[in-house]
Amino acid sequence: MGMKQNKKRVHFTKDSAATALMLTPSVLFLAVCSIYPFIWIFRYVCYDYNGFMATYTGTRNFMRMMNDKAFWGSVIHTFEYALYKLVFIIPLALVIAVLLNAKMRGSNVLRGIYFMPTIISTSISGMIFSFIFATKNGILNGVLMSLNLIQSPVKWLTGMDWVMVAVTIMAVWGGFGNYMLYFTTGINSIAEDVYESAKIDGANTTQTFFRITLPMLSPVLKVVLMLAITGAFKDYEAIMVLSKGGPGNRSMVMFLYIYNLIFGTPNSTTQAQIGYGALLSVMAAFIVGIVTAIYMFVSRKLDDVV
Amino acid sequence: MKRKLISVLTAAAIAVSLTACGSGSTANTNTTAAAGNTQTTAGETAGASEAPAGTTTIEVWSEDRHDMEYVEEMVDKYNQENTDGIYINLTIIAEDYKNMLALAYNGGTAPDVVGAGANNLPLNIFADTGILFPLNDYIAADETFQKVNEPYEHAYEGNNTRNGNIYFIYSGMRSGVRVIYNKDLLAQSGYTEIPTRLADYISMAKDITEKGAGQYYGIGFTSSSPFERLLEMGSQVSGIYYYDYINGKYDFSGYKEIVEVGQQLITEDIAYPDQQAVDNMRALFAEGEFALWSNASQEAGVFTNQIPITSFDWGVATVPSLTGEIKGALQTTPSKGYGIVSTSEHKDLAWKVIQYFQSEEFVKGYLENGYCLPISTYMDGIIDKTKIGRMADFELLEYESVYPMPPVINLSGDDYRIVLWNAVMGYVSVDEAIEDLNTRYNEALEADIASGSAKRLVISDYDPLHPSSGTITYLDN
Repeated sequence: MGMKQNKKRVHFTKDSAATALMLTPSVLFLAVCSIYPFIWIFRYVCYDYNGFMATYTGTRNFMRMMNDKAFWGSVIHTFEYALYKLVFIIPLALVIAVLLNAKMRGSNVLRGIYFMPTIISTSISGMIFSFIFATKNGILNGVLMSLNLIQSPVKWLTGMDWVMVAVTIMAVWGGFGNYMLYFTTGINSIAEDVYESAKIDGANTTQTFFRITLPMLSPVLKVVLMLAITGAFKDYEAIMVLSKGGPGNRSMVMFLYIYNLIFGTPNSTTQAQIGYGALLSVMAAFIVGIVTAIYMFVSRKLDDVV
Repeated sequence: MKRKLISVLTAAAIAVSLTACGSGSTANTNTTAAAGNTQTTAGETAGASEAPAGTTTIEVWSEDRHDMEYVEEMVDKYNQENTDGIYINLTIIAEDYKNMLALAYNGGTAPDVVGAGANNLPLNIFADTGILFPLNDYIAADETFQKVNEPYEHAYEGNNTRNGNIYFIYSGMRSGVRVIYNKDLLAQSGYTEIPTRLADYISMAKDITEKGAGQYYGIGFTSSSPFERLLEMGSQVSGIYYYDYINGKYDFSGYKEIVEVGQQLITEDIAYPDQQAVDNMRALFAEGEFALWSNASQEAGVFTNQIPITSFDWGVATVPSLTGEIKGALQTTPSKGYGIVSTSEHKDLAWKVIQYFQSEEFVKGYLENGYCLPISTYMDGIIDKTKIGRMADFELLEYESVYPMPPVINLSGDDYRIVLWNAVMGYVSVDEAIEDLNTRYNEALEADIASGSAKRLVISDYDPLHPSSGTITYLDN
């Protein structure tokens, strides 16, 4: 007796037609504004393109990428920057979200204040921070010296030792309000009775934080951490305005290097190299993709453990 | 019901404000998410009046905003008085000029006349692809133009001329770099003039910094191309250049000595500790934070109008060379040229517009307003020097000229000004820096010549004091 094969037939019901119709604008938008420009630039990967003339060079761009010490140096700096930023920004955002969750007067105002840096344009805040970090008349040096914490002015932006510290401070200042908000929402979704029963059982604040808040936040934490990682890898505007990748390429991150290649630097004696920049940006996207994939793998393993 | 009404009104208000913002900015496909470089580029049109009927509109684009007042006035005058039925429509594109022009050309909306100069229209892009139209025939037929602008004397290979085709003629220039100094601070330390030897110049700066004891410093640098503004020009007048014209390759070994001398400025803490944007450093100079600054003739306008110096007397002097002798020409930046775009349908009328912009009357008024220096000796002779203010201090020196443009290459990594300044700051050793530059630049040059996107420039009879007078040859290998 032959079993009737379960044919999967696509039924064009009224629902799926409406769905398709509603999806069309977004798909169109994505195709025109994301996919088409990507293909448009990607076709120059084997060329030297300066915006006006394209010369075919075969595999020369790949060879250049392999030998480009400046690019691989910038990749290392990107990892370094992302590490510093994440180590400070996630714990800070989490702690402040928890602290502000206590329903006291003014916690909403404080939340608003901490969120403000996110809405300020990065280039404007970069300019202001370059005044704060200035060596001679800088505000930070002035404050530190008047508090007698340092004897001579610190070269925040002109010395290779301190520029990453300055860049990290600015990155943390600019981003933690955003993550604090995510964590606040996450904490609000934890039911009150869990906390009540913990209090009845006699848990103090630290125990509540580590045994209750953190585990219950883990789905939110997972998402926020992934956003933070990809965000940190792609961050370059603040560095561009603050130190321009200097001094001596100490703070050059990979997307800033690519930006300089594609748009050209002012006062430069060479031209924009869009073909080579396109290849490097594919490589950079690949690197970020690998990091994200590793993170997803690790976080899935953690889910099994916790 | 009331809440619904309020929410609808709010949504409408937000939508209206979004469209208002959207209409104020022109979309630019070349600029994506980046900050800093993407200010919305709205072309500003001068004169809101429409073209009168029966006239031909000639579209003119200019990059300069600082001389807008005078140019607009003259354009209005021309529109009212000219007898050729021409209406000039002037648009000022202050940002992304090259890209906007290429965009317009590819889209078929290119202007008729384009303002050129200060390297904003590189010929390898605009002439070799046929965007600009050679003006040789028009110039040859116009004796007055030749008298006023001296086109054949100021045809600089690679800058406005290519293979004998002249694409635009300059009617003004920016001087070479000069030393600008605070006379009071110098006098306080016992100096009255700027030394001609670089080593003496640096010792003077050191002395002033020591006497300043943290209140003021001897010399200041900006983060925007600092190598160019003093040390590179000091090398030029010492006969050192980064391109070896005789052999047709890049050679940075000449910079070793001057970088080593310059390193003192950092290792001995002579320079002002911050290197910020140009305007910041100008403001610090105007406040007397450091005594020595170096830049070109645009400082005349800056320190008179934009950041006026009122608390002390400031002077201008020539840039010091390694030995005190002048062995090479000092690079100047010619500007204010006008070219015709090849897609223009009214080339003859466009040429008439250029004749007006570069006529004696126009140029004389322009120069007397102090916007830039004259480039032709004829104009230099007839303008009233008392009207140009401090610009007179930046007068052309006999050893100022324009170097022929070396081939434009696709370089990996940093360009030489950044690397050499890194060597001055001590981030990398001089020898390493020079070797790195020689390798990278020549590799890129050879690869580009092999692929055909550049040609090797060779001037076998090159003379450092007259760089643009040699015989120019372009080689394919």
